[in-house]
Amino acid sequence: MAMRMTIGCLLVAVGALFGMVPVVAHHSVTGEFDPNKIVTFKGQVTKIEWTNPHARIYVDVAQPNGSIVNWNVELAAVSALVRNGWTRSALKVGDTVSVEGLHARSGAPIANARSVVLPDGRKVLSGTVDQ
Amino acid sequence: MLLVTMAALPAQSPERGQVSISTQRRTGPPAGPVPRLPDGTVDLSGVWVGGGPINDIEREGGLKPGELDALLLPSAKALMASRDVTMEPHNRCLPMGVPRTTPFPFRIVQTPTHKAATHLFILQEGNIHSYRQVFMDGRKHPPDLDPTWYGHSIGWWEKDTLVIDTVGYNDKFWFDRRGTPHTEQLHTIERWTRLDLGRMENKVTIDDAGAFTKPFTVTFMATLSPPGDELMEYICQENNQYGVHTIPGFNPQTGETKK
Repeated sequence: MAMRMTIGCLLVAVGALFGMVPVVAHHSVTGEFDPNKIVTFKGQVTKIEWTNPHARIYVDVAQPNGSIVNWNVELAAVSALVRNGWTRSALKVGDTVSVEGLHARSGAPIANARSVVLPDGRKVLSGTVDQ
Repeated sequence: MLLVTMAALPAQSPERGQVSISTQRRTGPPAGPVPRLPDGTVDLSGVWVGGGPINDIEREGGLKPGELDALLLPSAKALMASRDVTMEPHNRCLPMGVPRTTPFPFRIVQTPTHKAATHLFILQEGNIHSYRQVFMDGRKHPPDLDPTWYGHSIGWWEKDTLVIDTVGYNDKFWFDRRGTPHTEQLHTIERWTRLDLGRMENKVTIDDAGAFTKPFTVTFMATLSPPGDELMEYICQENNQYGVHTIPGFNPQTGETKK
């Protein structure tokens, strides 16, 4: 459960974000999030905000010292998620998810998600549901 | 034709039991002839995506690298140099202006009357729910306009092309994420031509003696969204957290960042 931060694979990451996956954002992602700082973590979903301009999930991540950090994970706009085939029932509070995303430039526990993966390996709320 | 296209798409989605709009969009716009109203006028109605700049008006508008930058007056060049993407009005849920677009679709609606349409509306899903109102009844621009985000638009048909002439803009919106600027002297002439069922060209002449040494023309393409796609609610102000805790020193009220 320990948080793991990975820095690297920049070009692949950016390619995946802007090329393969039809990410729709109302703003430029890189103003707020650092494409050089890829963060990965696993934890339990505490809240889902099915809102615009971005849907968000909040994830409790246990730290090595036993404390918990609640990550704020920015997803695409709801309208974009729905056009990609997702519904708000794709994820529930209490689900365990592995998140990979771009870290906020401030260093706060906020990430712009590249992928959200359930324990059974299903990728949700990124890309299209029929991909 | 359409059914054949749909059948060729990947297996049904487990989530919704249908192929997503995004997947259908990737297969390209639908093919077919230009649809027309009973009086012969081109029918522009439908849900469209694109047709304007987002990241870079020079590149996306079909100009050569540096071509537009070379037209900037020194004051406009200095203003552009002072901007970075975190300062965009867009980020604070303010309108995008003209000719800019977003990744979200828009719908064109003409009001039917016993004669011809008197108004044409461009209903925009994003970046904020807003609309453009185009007067089609032959009126002229008023002489003294309060500057606004979408200005005062009058429209008419030149053969099969819808011409929208707009003045009375404010200077607050950016043409693109690079911060390409303009002034309140901005005058745009859009020429919308539906090339076929699925594609609509927007050739825009931008005339602003306050920012550019001469007028220039940029060209964009809008595509028809797949059948079944509709405008959706998109309330940008609902949960906009732009920059609040992500950018050190950012003021969400002004969009400025304290260095």
